[in-house]
Amino acid sequence: MDYFILLSVSGIAIGVIYGLIGMGYALIFKATSVVNFAQGEVMMLISYMAFSIASSWTLPFWGLLVVCVVMSGVVGLVIERVFIRPMLGQEVFSTVMVTIGLAVMIRAVVVMIWGADPLLLPTDIGDSGIEFGIVFLYTSQLYAIGLLAFCVFSMWAFLRFSRMGVAMRATASRETTALLMGINVTHVYSIAWAIAAVIAGISGVLLGTIYGLGPDMWSQGLRAFPAVILGGLDSVFGAAIAGIFIGLLENLSEGYIGRGLKEISGFIVILVVLMIRPYGLFGTPEIERV
Amino acid sequence: MRTGVIQESYGELISLFRNPTQTYWTVALVIVSLAAPMVLSNHVTSLVNGMMIVAVGVVGLNLLTGTTGLISFGQAGFLAVGAYTAAILSADYNMPLWLCLPAGGLVAAGFGFLVGIPSLRLKGLYLAITTLAFTIIITHIILSAESITHGSSGISAPKPAIFGITLATDKSFYYLILVVLTLAILGSANIKRSRIGRAFLAIREQDIAARAMGVPVARYKLYAFVVSSFYAGVAGALMAYQIRFVNVDSFSLIISIEAVSMIIVGGLGSTAGAVIGVFFVLGLAEILNLVFSSMGGPMGSMSVLELKGFIYGLTIVLFLRFEPDGLMGIYREFKNRWVNWPFRY
Repeated sequence: MDYFILLSVSGIAIGVIYGLIGMGYALIFKATSVVNFAQGEVMMLISYMAFSIASSWTLPFWGLLVVCVVMSGVVGLVIERVFIRPMLGQEVFSTVMVTIGLAVMIRAVVVMIWGADPLLLPTDIGDSGIEFGIVFLYTSQLYAIGLLAFCVFSMWAFLRFSRMGVAMRATASRETTALLMGINVTHVYSIAWAIAAVIAGISGVLLGTIYGLGPDMWSQGLRAFPAVILGGLDSVFGAAIAGIFIGLLENLSEGYIGRGLKEISGFIVILVVLMIRPYGLFGTPEIERV
Repeated sequence: MRTGVIQESYGELISLFRNPTQTYWTVALVIVSLAAPMVLSNHVTSLVNGMMIVAVGVVGLNLLTGTTGLISFGQAGFLAVGAYTAAILSADYNMPLWLCLPAGGLVAAGFGFLVGIPSLRLKGLYLAITTLAFTIIITHIILSAESITHGSSGISAPKPAIFGITLATDKSFYYLILVVLTLAILGSANIKRSRIGRAFLAIREQDIAARAMGVPVARYKLYAFVVSSFYAGVAGALMAYQIRFVNVDSFSLIISIEAVSMIIVGGLGSTAGAVIGVFFVLGLAEILNLVFSSMGGPMGSMSVLELKGFIYGLTIVLFLRFEPDGLMGIYREFKNRWVNWPFRY
């Protein structure tokens, strides 16, 4: 039983990160119907930038997080303006390939600037943690859970109540109609990219604090794919929930079935789920008219 | 003034060569490619060999992604299956090359069929991510099935030999690859001008409409998967013989992405474009390699690798931004200008 609890808790801790990355994917897909393959890379870029900031100024964790949120918002806006905006009106597939090209470029740039050696994000919460019975959780892991909850709640409130959120849902539902209703769709797109980058930035800072930085950090973005597919590509909350589920599943399958399953159990699950529900658990089926 | 190629019958419309000029150029190309190894140095020949092998796989991917419109990031997985099949059969069971090549293709085609089934209900990016999942799963299976695949230590493949003739040098191996690539291109061109190819195109444009026109969509989607994974499997088998060592690490996800970017650079849906795209992208990488290694000095080998990655990503982005029809699009535009000059059209 203890083994089960330990596995589950560490599974949830990593699942929270998947959930955060997945929310970024889902938000961009919802608004622009593009999968941003560079989400993991944006996360990596922000956490390396956070490293530079944290090593030149001494900031408390929350201060660093706020600085990173602002910074990643700017990064998201720049990416949207430079790479994505010119692709408006092109096929979705082309835009997706642009994000893949962008991903390759960011990976290269990060290693060119910061080198390939693993680094640790210096923060004041470092190794501290709290013990719950047999389970030990780092403060950073607790923060991660809290921040996911916060992001989910604020995204819900944003999409439900704010003017921009409603505009975003309208654009997601049908772009042309949204345009006809007087919604500035390009503006909605840039906001979506900025928010997704902010979420990526938050997960980057958390990941850097918990596991450290390395040139293969972007692969966490890939590992979060099962989460967002399971939840449905256009469901922001589905991605958050499915992220936790995938984290749990990875740890439990590794612990009980066999070594190495951690890397693939998520992908096996999405193969099965997609056969039954081609649009994920919470995604909206697309009804095509010819 | 020539006003264009006018096709007067259905037979002319689907013929392999549209006009005499095209035939002459093809003959010239065949002669050049037959003579090439006699002129090129050993090093360049081995580079060209590598490019031609990739071209076999990319021509197959073009049938799936360019012609049928099914986006696949699973090509690396099929490549791995083909390479492992050929390496295992030739190293552990002493099978001859002429058997291993098609075997690699067939086993990969079997996997293509398996991946094709769940993807019948999926579209667009959901499909892309499913095929991506396949690559990750297949790599894991290869790593864990140690009794067959030797796990992470990899397999050494024997020297390629066909009907008793050892193709030990790159120059002799060149001709084998040339034959395979020619067959691959002919196969692709013939599929595209047949009933099957027209069904593929119909599915790409709008699969519900295709179904309404009486195209059995599920069957043709499976065809596309099986054929393209067969191509990738054969390419993988050739790769095993060329590198003479097969390891899971050579079949990472980036290979699939490179393959897709090659057909985009070449021009989606065109067989010639696929081949040109391969030579352009890999040639660019080689040229960059030369430039950076000649500069040498302050730049470490690490940053050269990164700079190459950066320029590679930039190439994809720039092509999509400014020339979405790829190199074939540039060629078509140039041809039109050339024919119509001094008029615009």
